[in-house]
Amino acid sequence: MAQVIEEPRKVQYPLDPNSYKILDEIGTGVSAIVYKAICLPMNSTIVAIKAIDLDQSKADLDSVRRETKAMSLLSHQNILKAHCSFTVERRLWVVMPFMSAGSLQSIISSSFPDGFSEPCIAFVLRETLNALLYLHNQGHLHRDIKAGNILVDADGSVKLGDFGVSASIYESNLSQGTSYSSLSSSLMLNDVTGTPYWMAPEVIHSHTGYGFKADIWSFGITALELAHGRPPLSHLPPSKSLIMRITNRFRLSDYERNKKGKNKKFSKAFREVVSSCLTQDPSKRPTAEKLLKHPFFRYCKNADFLVRNVLQGLPTVEERFKQSRLHRPLPVAGDGEESSVGTVVKHRRISGWNFNEEVLELDPVFPTEREESSLEIQNEDDSIVKQVRFGGEIIIQSRHEEQLELNTSDPNSPISILDETHESEVVAGETNVDEPAEIEGNEEVGMENPPPELMAVEPVIYPLTALIPNLLALQNSLDEERQLISHVVTYIRGGSEVSEEQLQQTVEELQKRIQDLRLELEQERKRTTDLEMQLESLRRRGTAASVSDSSGRDEEQLQQRNEQLLQRNEQLRLELEVEIKRGSESSSSSH
Amino acid sequence: MKGLFKSKPRTPAELVRQTRELLIYADMKSDRESKREEKMAELGKLIRELKSILYGNGESEPVSEACSQLTQEFFKENTLRLLIICIPKLNLEARKDATQVVANLQRQQVHSRLIASDYLEANIDLMDRLISGYEDTDISLHYGAMLRECIRHQSIARYVLVSEHMKKFFDYIQLPNFDIAADAAATFKELLTRHKSTVAEFLSKNYDWFFAEYNSKLLESTNYITRRQAVKLLGDILLDRSNSAVMMQYVSSRDNLRILMNLLRESSKSIQLEAFHVFKLFAANQNKPPDIVSILVANRSKLLRFFGDFKIDKEDEQFEADKAQVVKEIAALEARDRP
Repeated sequence: MAQVIEEPRKVQYPLDPNSYKILDEIGTGVSAIVYKAICLPMNSTIVAIKAIDLDQSKADLDSVRRETKAMSLLSHQNILKAHCSFTVERRLWVVMPFMSAGSLQSIISSSFPDGFSEPCIAFVLRETLNALLYLHNQGHLHRDIKAGNILVDADGSVKLGDFGVSASIYESNLSQGTSYSSLSSSLMLNDVTGTPYWMAPEVIHSHTGYGFKADIWSFGITALELAHGRPPLSHLPPSKSLIMRITNRFRLSDYERNKKGKNKKFSKAFREVVSSCLTQDPSKRPTAEKLLKHPFFRYCKNADFLVRNVLQGLPTVEERFKQSRLHRPLPVAGDGEESSVGTVVKHRRISGWNFNEEVLELDPVFPTEREESSLEIQNEDDSIVKQVRFGGEIIIQSRHEEQLELNTSDPNSPISILDETHESEVVAGETNVDEPAEIEGNEEVGMENPPPELMAVEPVIYPLTALIPNLLALQNSLDEERQLISHVVTYIRGGSEVSEEQLQQTVEELQKRIQDLRLELEQERKRTTDLEMQLESLRRRGTAASVSDSSGRDEEQLQQRNEQLLQRNEQLRLELEVEIKRGSESSSSSH
Repeated sequence: MKGLFKSKPRTPAELVRQTRELLIYADMKSDRESKREEKMAELGKLIRELKSILYGNGESEPVSEACSQLTQEFFKENTLRLLIICIPKLNLEARKDATQVVANLQRQQVHSRLIASDYLEANIDLMDRLISGYEDTDISLHYGAMLRECIRHQSIARYVLVSEHMKKFFDYIQLPNFDIAADAAATFKELLTRHKSTVAEFLSKNYDWFFAEYNSKLLESTNYITRRQAVKLLGDILLDRSNSAVMMQYVSSRDNLRILMNLLRESSKSIQLEAFHVFKLFAANQNKPPDIVSILVANRSKLLRFFGDFKIDKEDEQFEADKAQVVKEIAALEARDRP
């Protein structure tokens, strides 16, 4: 292929931070910040710098090395290549070309909430496929295909970015072997950006590991993301209480959005492409090469089309970033709990997906935590999903409560589980009939076809005692949920006296306050780092003296001040959290 | 129609011979530009074919008979030397293929012998060339990858360890270009951990200069990543059973203890933790020299306070046990010190 070969870069970008001037922050992650900067010695060429905090990454540096090396040895017009990388204190700076239109995800969230038109989708997907084809021929996996990693330049050129670096730095369990074959068992929800929505079933399930076809799956999800403006089910936080947290609130907003978008219609060709990528069995998914030959990509538009139809009038990347900070979606109430659940969160998996080609929607099937302890009571999983999808909030709760009571109160009767399941399945079936019409018109009818693997139910009987801890956890999260709801209810009741406008005002005030606090926190952080650096240099000086009396008074003082600052920092953070919670509660009650 | 003109498939040995001819051609400077381009493209194709024989392609697994023929022909003459020399003249894709071919050949057995090892022993100067690749940004990653494959052979690793090159690694590791520095660090680690007996012999014979360099250039480097990698590797080396003599020598030095205690006080959690795994050896040593004891006693209260607060994110029984042991050892010094 002609575009594959491009001679290695001749220009060597400078390897010291002083040659760059940082202009603006344009992105943040858990342990990385992306800046827009200029490279002074190179005629002030604009670049993007991704600064990764190496001390925060638990991964061994070998995997970091493998990935940056792989990246620097790739050369393709649709792959974003690093100019160079070097360390600055504890951070790894990866200097890259600045893609001025930003990621597709950022374009969508700022200006195309309902997704792109089909010709645009076809163009960017084809470019992405070119990149994937090259990568796969080289024996590389991308592992993180999503709109947020597909970048666009001012001229409409499209590049797949963030190759590997993010995946490898945050996942400590890359396979050690010579091949790129498998992200082994536990690439789970500990991923920073919370990318589970794009993950292929076999990746989540971990039995077969990650192959090229898993990239194809993520590609399919990305297609949905571009079509609908968000990946399937992205409104669900990936947390322990996920099952419980699908509320009418979310459903409603989705519904409204869909109405606005007039239920977009998609061509048969597009639907074919997506559904072939989202085949459960990886071996039945097409390769990138085969996909490129699909009629959907035959009469593709060019980059100019993208410029005219998408890029024109778009806010700059910097503006969008600032905007997203201001309007960062307030975390769903109870989100704070996620960090504290730690391990439990990580083990949350999705057991399967139901793809509904008609409306181009994908519905995951969530197992209960029971499956996590390798108890595969799949029919029960299924029933819970149904409840969640179609049941009203209150109804779900009471039903689950019954279930819990039954199970815990009668630990000696293993059969009860099966009976129970049957019952709830029937009940779920009933709700199923009424609810969909209410929620999304009649579109969702006919999606009740669980994939074959879910149909094959094995009625294995397990000692119930093994289930109790999980059930208790479930109950706890139910309790939390109930509390939240009662909060909301009180708010709504109290709110009926307050006018809508007033509420709106309160929300705005709160948002502003949050913003202020955030800024303050940032400043404190900066100050802390400065002090830390001072401390460091003092230490070095101290080292020259003998060990036994090394710590000078200055240092002690600094240390103290530092600790104070850290404490203050922590306080601020707590305050911020409280504010956020309040904000989200009042905003939800105002809606 | 295309099939009509398809030439008879060439045998692996023929492929190697053609590759060799083109490499000789590529090595010379001559000819018109257009003709040269054509030949270089042909060379690139040949190298890719060699690669697909050795690794198999999408449809088929590699055939051991073909691999064996290829390997034999490859090492019968100086094809490896030519290939290494010509790397800078190849384009990026051909370089990557060539690197993979060289890597694979190191593991190919012919009549249950690794003939690559014999070849390299007879052409040991090739190692000098590969190592010098770290000084040329353009080719360092390709040469680096080949180098790491070559030192899988014990005799070759021994050559590099005792050569003057070993000293250069202390600088290569700290090159500003992260990719290259990290590649050099990976090779350095491989050299110091793969072949246990060779490493133990090297370390005990070269103890003085090696650890003097290691301490001053790596453990006390101003570069965070250098310190972090160095203290981790030091732990790996000293905790290896085959290096126990070297370990005893290392933990008997007052200077070494001072350096490790400074690393313990770093603000980086990762460095602290790795430093602890080395520091514990000083504390656990049952024959501590007096000056080691005196430092530990002088810093006893600080150390105990430090370990009291020293926690890691995840639960780790081994770590807790080690920590308890270290605390016990240091507290016991108190009793011995003040009768």
